[in-house]
Amino acid sequence: MKIILDRPRCEGHGLCEEAAPRLMHLDDEGELILDIEDITENDLDSAKASVRVCPVAALRLE
Amino acid sequence: MTTATPHRIVVVGNGIAGLTASDSLRTAGFDGELTIIGDEYHPPYSRPALSKAALLDDGEMTSHHLPAPTHEASEILGVSASSLDTDNKVVGLADGSEVPYDALVIASGSRARRLGSGDAGEAERELTLRTLDDALVLRQRIATQPSVVVLGGGALGMEIASGCLDAGCAVTLVSSDPPLVRQLGSHLSEYFLAAARRRGLTIATSPAREVHHREAHSRVVLADGSSLEAELVISAVGDLPNTEWLQSSGLLLGAALRVDSRGRVAPDIVAAGDVAAFPTARGIRRVPLWTSAIEQSKVAALTLVRGNDAPELSFQPYFWTEQFGLSLKASGYLPLAGDPEVLEGDLREDKALLRWSHDDGTGTAVAINYRIPIPKLRRLSSALAAAVSPAA
Ligand SMILES: Cc1cc2nc3c(=O)[nH]c(=O)nc-3n(C[C@H](O)[C@H](O)[C@H](O)COP(=O)(O)OP(=O)(O)OC[C@H]3O[C@@H](n4cnc5c(N)ncnc54)[C@H](O)[C@@H]3O)c2cc1C
Ligand code: SF4
Repeated sequence: MKIILDRPRCEGHGLCEEAAPRLMHLDDEGELILDIEDITENDLDSAKASVRVCPVAALRLE
Repeated sequence: MTTATPHRIVVVGNGIAGLTASDSLRTAGFDGELTIIGDEYHPPYSRPALSKAALLDDGEMTSHHLPAPTHEASEILGVSASSLDTDNKVVGLADGSEVPYDALVIASGSRARRLGSGDAGEAERELTLRTLDDALVLRQRIATQPSVVVLGGGALGMEIASGCLDAGCAVTLVSSDPPLVRQLGSHLSEYFLAAARRRGLTIATSPAREVHHREAHSRVVLADGSSLEAELVISAVGDLPNTEWLQSSGLLLGAALRVDSRGRVAPDIVAAGDVAAFPTARGIRRVPLWTSAIEQSKVAALTLVRGNDAPELSFQPYFWTEQFGLSLKASGYLPLAGDPEVLEGDLREDKALLRWSHDDGTGTAVAINYRIPIPKLRRLSSALAAAVSPAA
């Protein structure tokens, strides 16, 4: 599975980072950086949690 | 001791709390029968978006979309739960059918409070904004740029006023206190008010006493004797928990549904989200906000699977709002008394990182038009004033 960011939608809330700090972070400019895009079994739960917490649905799993 | 894992779990409410609880049950390993009962037909959507981008989306409204659920529950949508029998462990539905459970998640959320009766004719005249259907009506009504009176100076009232102004309406906001003062304190209230006025908002600080609806106009009479005329009245005067269906369940204290620090109402019943009053550092209360609903739901779901081995809720308030060209994020308890420490930027330039210290030793960090990771904002809010280094 792959995590996909719809960048124009992202408002930089950073709630996703809090749910999955291993997978993504906001950089100093407040841009979201996906550190791990290919999601393995181990990261699936936190990936799902990060997708769910985003209030503008800027992230999805495919 | 761990409790026996239930086979059938029923979730009442299909909002973010019900959805998160369902996801979390699966994540925690629950592979039994999961049923969600929700009275809205729509798949779960983002409520916060309704008063922000969704009011202004060009063409089709999409800002509120959420990714499709993955919990594989059977969904009973468009019908509400009307009763709960805890002795026989059965949820009664409005269509007369019954749904048995081993364990129950109550996530029925809250609804908009209104000043009028809410009868069909009157509801058309006093709009509220809680549901997707409300947002669709509101979008349609403001498209012709009517004059608008917004009742209520909380975050929601201010967001609605901002959206209506952007849509080209003339807007007056009626609030008994200075807008946002109860949510954010006077320092930020004044700041937001100045931005709102610059964008053309008219503000009346006197409580609304009566609303009279006429043919094309409504008239709002204020406590100071003055009155306002508008083509559209929208009220944003708080929310009420959806607990009526629990009336005879024996679970309520008045209208309040109280849970413990693991979301429990009874051994086999948990509750989460806007409907639930839970223990916080400032007492037992409802905190009807997005991340509050999500955090509560995770804990509550885990409790059904693991019992006392589930961690207790360690609630950290997080709030955000977007209005009048400003975006605010706040980590920590609100409202904020007195003046802040300025950690970075300057409010006069509409970009700042601020911190308030409270008497109990905690703090609240606020970012205005400032993109900052939430974990960092949280660290700033809890750090001791002297030890704060925003660059850390
Ligand atoms: C316009 C608006 C803007 C907001 N903006 C923000 C914001 O910027 N930041 C923030 O943090 N929070 C914001 N919030 C609050 C946030 O959206 C809520 O805290 C959150 O949605 C609560 O989720 P919930 O699942 O507990 O309740 P709800 O979303 O209310 O979901 C409950 C669901 O259960 C259904 N239901 C109710 N009773 C029954 C029944 N008897 N049987 C079956 N189904 C039932 C309801 O119809 C609803 O679909 C906003 C809210 C609104 C309305
Ligand atoms: S939670 Fe959503 S909006 Fe916020 S940074 Fe993550 S993807 Fe962007």
